[in-house]
Amino acid sequence: MPRVKLFATLVEIANKREVVIEDAKTAREVLDKLKGLYGPSFEKELEHGMIFLVNGRDITHLQGLDTPVGKDDVISLFPPIGGG
Amino acid sequence: MAFEIKVLKVDLASSKTEVEVLGEDIVRNWIGGRGVAAYLMLRAKASKADPLGPENPLIFAAGPLSGTSAPTGGRYNVVTKSPTTGFIAFANSGGHFGAALKHAGWDVIYIEGKAEKPVYLLVQDDKVEIKDASHLWGKVVSETEATLRQEIGNDKAKIASIGPAGENLVKIAAIMNDGHRAAGRGGVGAVMGSKNLKAIAVIGSKGAPQPADREKFMQVVRDKVNILRNDPVAGGGLPKYGTAVLVNIINENGLYPHKNFQTGVYDKAPEQSGEALEAKYLVKNQPCFACPIGCGRVSKLPVMEKESEGPEYESIWTFGSNMGINDLASIVTANHLCDEYGLDTISTGSTLAAAMELYENGLIKDEEFEPGPPFRFGNTEVLHYYIDKIAKREGFGDKLAEGSYRLAESYGRPEFSMSVKKLELPAYDPRVAQGLGLHYATCNRGGDHVKGYMISPEILGYPKKMDPLDIGEEKVAMTKLIQEATALVDAAGLCIFSSFGLWGDDYRDLLNAFFGWDLPTEEYIKIGERIWNAERIFNLEAGLKAEDDILPSRLINDPMPEGPHKGQTSKVKEMLPVYYKLRGWNPDGTVPEDKKQQLGL
Ligand code: SF4
Repeated sequence: MPRVKLFATLVEIANKREVVIEDAKTAREVLDKLKGLYGPSFEKELEHGMIFLVNGRDITHLQGLDTPVGKDDVISLFPPIGGG
Repeated sequence: MAFEIKVLKVDLASSKTEVEVLGEDIVRNWIGGRGVAAYLMLRAKASKADPLGPENPLIFAAGPLSGTSAPTGGRYNVVTKSPTTGFIAFANSGGHFGAALKHAGWDVIYIEGKAEKPVYLLVQDDKVEIKDASHLWGKVVSETEATLRQEIGNDKAKIASIGPAGENLVKIAAIMNDGHRAAGRGGVGAVMGSKNLKAIAVIGSKGAPQPADREKFMQVVRDKVNILRNDPVAGGGLPKYGTAVLVNIINENGLYPHKNFQTGVYDKAPEQSGEALEAKYLVKNQPCFACPIGCGRVSKLPVMEKESEGPEYESIWTFGSNMGINDLASIVTANHLCDEYGLDTISTGSTLAAAMELYENGLIKDEEFEPGPPFRFGNTEVLHYYIDKIAKREGFGDKLAEGSYRLAESYGRPEFSMSVKKLELPAYDPRVAQGLGLHYATCNRGGDHVKGYMISPEILGYPKKMDPLDIGEEKVAMTKLIQEATALVDAAGLCIFSSFGLWGDDYRDLLNAFFGWDLPTEEYIKIGERIWNAERIFNLEAGLKAEDDILPSRLINDPMPEGPHKGQTSKVKEMLPVYYKLRGWNPDGTVPEDKKQQLGL
């Protein structure tokens, strides 16, 4: 049961900062469940990209959406953001 | 249509002004802004100058797109020899000052000499006057601007000035414009102070610079504005939360420096994030000239019944996590004080953080700073008390005014200064972003992030995602490319945040449409490379050695103690030889003759 920390606009859409996702074994399954929970506006927020970290590592540099997630893992999810 | 660069030369010693016009060949090689300023610094042989001596030129340089409708075209650069690093300084600022300079018909103001007593420069189109500023000396930035506008009788005048910090030759002093916009880094404010120049006020009525083909230029501008408006960052997160949106993501990745870079995670980070700032203090957005992004913030000042601007991500970090402080109200106030006194926030917070580590290691003794508050991490009183003392060089503030390197060195422990080439590092731990570490080590102005912002590919995914831990040749090549593209953007007079949406071909389109040229993107990148090499040559002439291209030993030798990237160290030593090779430099970091010839240097 990975713990998902939400940030920026995702907090406003989900109306919470953290959510525990049951029965998800990969990043893709986590994402699908989140989209199911929070609907089209959540999905739209991520349509141009996202930053999906598993224990602080971007899944792009792991196995992408196939990256396995376990019950002790912490996921941090951001819409595209920038600054400097 | 021939494009020229119009330089207003002001000799403060003789009170003489003169106009120099640089021809199209200079424009073609250097574009303007930071580029032409590097050319002028080399031409003046300023590498040998005493940074605070009259012989050091102080250059204010807008670019060809400054003051036009090109998106983010409101920037100007301040270039001089830095009293902090002893190498070249190039600081960039937004607001409206750069555009005003162009609307008055000038590309560059080139200041030489030292005035006998405090003066300010008043530029009203072609009319230039050097005026007495004795009554302004000692005033903070907001008072200086208000007094000047009243005196000139024009509330539209755009002003760049120094606060008490610059006057007192504080080595971490900034030049401020439009109240809260800073040409911050490298002690440029001290150079202005050393010339007894309190301010430059500009009133421009000539309108925007004319492109070669107006219709075509406007079409390209519309296209690029659209790209930015539709970009999820430039048109979404950046205007909504400001740069402070980075706090959480940098912390989650484990590179948000805490307590003078002792570690890269801070459990209180969410409480000082862009989201928290938006909820508690944001009044509205404040865009710079011609900017469709508008990342600037107008914020409520706690306690004081007024509004201020900021704080940016860097300022939140430097007064927050880096000093172990989690009180957002104190951070917002400290940021405001630095704007008023004319201090660089990054260097101010980092110098205080270094003092905290020196104190906690028993090196700074209580009797040295009493009755001031002790330098303990987390002590907010340090913020409220010492910013004022630094700007005025009072008591222990006099030592802090020298910056973190000279402070730590005076206790025999320079390694407690988290700086490169004596310039304090910004808000990312390079143990967890290897490309950024390489940029920190090699940036011509010292410990900087914006002139080669590798966080874009390594964390944020612009222009593409790259593994932050990778140290291969592709990473080194990207670092080099981003350094060159940024030099081009600074030369053009645009804001580097436009790169959250625009990239090489977009800048090519804008410049080609403006100049009526037909250059390929590679030629423009080569101009960026020329600028980078010119600055390097300046630094080598000023005494730079390869061993100056290095990070503080903590970041190379001490593994990251905790967080998602526990155990990581910077591999900058392995990347440097590859970097020198890709740059076509000698193994000792010098620029060989054939490279100079290839770039026409
Ligand atoms: S993006 Fe921000 S800093 Fe850059 S020009 Fe626009 S408002 Fe100014």
